[in-house]
Amino acid sequence: MGIISVEHSDRLYWLGRYSERVYTTLKIFADRYDSMIDLEEDEYADFCERQEIPNIYLSAADFARRYCFDEEDPNSIISNLTRAYDNAIVLREEIGSVTLSYIQMAVYAMNKAKQSDAPLLELQRVRDNIVAFWGIVDDSVDDEHVRSIIKLGKRIERIDIYARMHLDKKEMKREIVKLNRRIDRTGLHFSSKRLAHINYLIEEDVLDHEELVQEIEALLE
Amino acid sequence: MDTRGLCQYSDSVNELLARYGVKFGIYKNNQFREQLFPFDTIPRVIGAEEFSFLEKGLKQRVQALNLFIKDIYHDKKIIKDGIVPEEFVYSGSGYLTQCEKVMPSKEIYTHISGIDLVQAKDKSWYILEDNLRVPSGASYPMIARDLCRKCSPQTFHGNHIEDNRNYAKLLRKTFDYVNTGGHTVILTPGRFNAAYFEHSFLAEQTGAHLASGHELTVENDHLYFIDYSGKKEQVGAVYRRISDEYLDPMNFLEESVIGIPHIYDVYRKGNVALLNAPGNGVADDKGIYYFVPKMIKYYLGEDAILSNAPTYLPFYPEDMDYVLTHFDDLVLKDVAEAGGYGVVFANKMSKQEKEDFIALLKAEPRRFIAQEVIDFLDIDILEQGEFVPRKADLRAFVLMADEPMVWKSGLTRFSRNPDSFIVNSSQGGGFKDTWVLSQ
Ligand SMILES: Nc1ncnc2c1ncn2[C@@H]1O[C@H](COP(=O)(O)OP(=O)(O)O)[C@@H](O)[C@H]1O
Ligand SMILES: [Mg+2]
Repeated sequence: MGIISVEHSDRLYWLGRYSERVYTTLKIFADRYDSMIDLEEDEYADFCERQEIPNIYLSAADFARRYCFDEEDPNSIISNLTRAYDNAIVLREEIGSVTLSYIQMAVYAMNKAKQSDAPLLELQRVRDNIVAFWGIVDDSVDDEHVRSIIKLGKRIERIDIYARMHLDKKEMKREIVKLNRRIDRTGLHFSSKRLAHINYLIEEDVLDHEELVQEIEALLE
Repeated sequence: MDTRGLCQYSDSVNELLARYGVKFGIYKNNQFREQLFPFDTIPRVIGAEEFSFLEKGLKQRVQALNLFIKDIYHDKKIIKDGIVPEEFVYSGSGYLTQCEKVMPSKEIYTHISGIDLVQAKDKSWYILEDNLRVPSGASYPMIARDLCRKCSPQTFHGNHIEDNRNYAKLLRKTFDYVNTGGHTVILTPGRFNAAYFEHSFLAEQTGAHLASGHELTVENDHLYFIDYSGKKEQVGAVYRRISDEYLDPMNFLEESVIGIPHIYDVYRKGNVALLNAPGNGVADDKGIYYFVPKMIKYYLGEDAILSNAPTYLPFYPEDMDYVLTHFDDLVLKDVAEAGGYGVVFANKMSKQEKEDFIALLKAEPRRFIAQEVIDFLDIDILEQGEFVPRKADLRAFVLMADEPMVWKSGLTRFSRNPDSFIVNSSQGGGFKDTWVLSQ
């Protein structure tokens, strides 16, 4: 098994988180974008509030452009994809050129979407590439630590977004089960007390979303 | 041989190069940008017999250069015997006093050499420059070949082209031969270095670890890589892609933040191999280049198989006279510069520029060399659907393990400007694959 530095383990983790953040926010965005075409002009305000991102947008159209493509906006999807890329680019030797190429292609697709006036089609390709990226991580990254750290990042991010957005509890539960199985294989330090608490929270009849977000964010601290 | 067969796949190959992030970094107006390295599918083809001649010449040259560096930092016989004047050795920026009396693992200094050659119109080859510090470029034809084979397998089938994807294997052998015990690390200044793609690609291909300076540490005269679990793993070889001055703030440039404090002390004690060895710059200085054929004679007792471009050292009065009378025919090079900077063709200078240059030359004769312009061969490139000839040089790679090995390929760089001889990528040049035929 290879040796991984602190810096690279951190980058692997954030590669997992940002790739997931891009994927899931794009998915949510695509659904909402559709409904914003004819109704619910200001649905984006609720979206911003739940994501705890400042609502700096002037209209649904402005939101659609800038939330996706504004490189100056640190919360935009393109900024998050850039962060995924910035982490991936220094991990070629850990994840392999083939795996890395899917993040690269997601970046190209994002830039293409930015040029288009019907961006959903190209944005779908961004998601396709991220899904392929995860597939290849599973398929071809031999080092269990490397694989597990990326996947841990992905799981934590998904639980985090789902909790913030009050999305499907069943899906969250599934992710938490997987998280329990994965975390031991990463070699990373985590709080078992917090993990136990997360397991407890998800079983409660009324889910305390805020508390879950707090706990999941602090799990590795 | 049909060398244009790949042209119809040009777009596919370039698309794949983009997909795999085959880029180089460049600073423009103080901003870092990643740029694709333009690839032209028409290869340079070198026949088996011709390459075997080049191979002999390159091995000979690198062997002599290695002996020269060892001699300079130890006995200095070549200076005592009056073959190379000492002012050319000690005043160059490449000579490092810290390397005096330090012997690298297996007495190898020049592990990876990038030798720049051009072929003149009469087909004879000339060496333009030896790069013995951190020569880059092998990764580009290596990955380009892989992608070309994907796009057009039939081009390669039955054509007897040496497979150049063994570069990683040669490099690994080079690492392992000098490794003093432990892991091998490729030391990079980071992703904002021009050749970062190459650093990371070679790490992947050789199975070495890519690391930045802060991921390595020195303890008890040994070098360690620190694992994220806190475990220390000993490092026995460092293929460092950072220059001598930045290697170790305790021994060289104090302000270096990309180096590793005390790594040079570990090296001095023989507890780690550094590839290439520090101090090599003493031998690939543009001024020292002039003396390489003499070194070959001196150390190996042989005539140089490969010629230098005819070169003059204005330092010698008779050469200065020649340079002044034939100024317009020459190319002038500032010995302190690289990357195509500081290389000027006199016939492109204005009258004022000439006067200024000559004044500078007279004031600082040691700073410049002059060369006859070699009207080197053009190779066609495909530009907007048309074949146009462009100047192209060749960087050959010689790796040294128990014996020198010449990679059966090389980086062919071309100028995209029809009026220019300068092929360096930092000047906007592109690259080609180099096919060496096996029969
Ligand atoms: N004597 C020469 N005749 C023709 N072209 C030359 C000559 N010397 C250099 N060049 C061109 O200029 C480029 C840079 O010169 P080189 O000596 O390799 O310096 P650098 O260290 O800047 O790369 C070469 O790759 C070649 O294209
Ligand atoms: Mg050169």
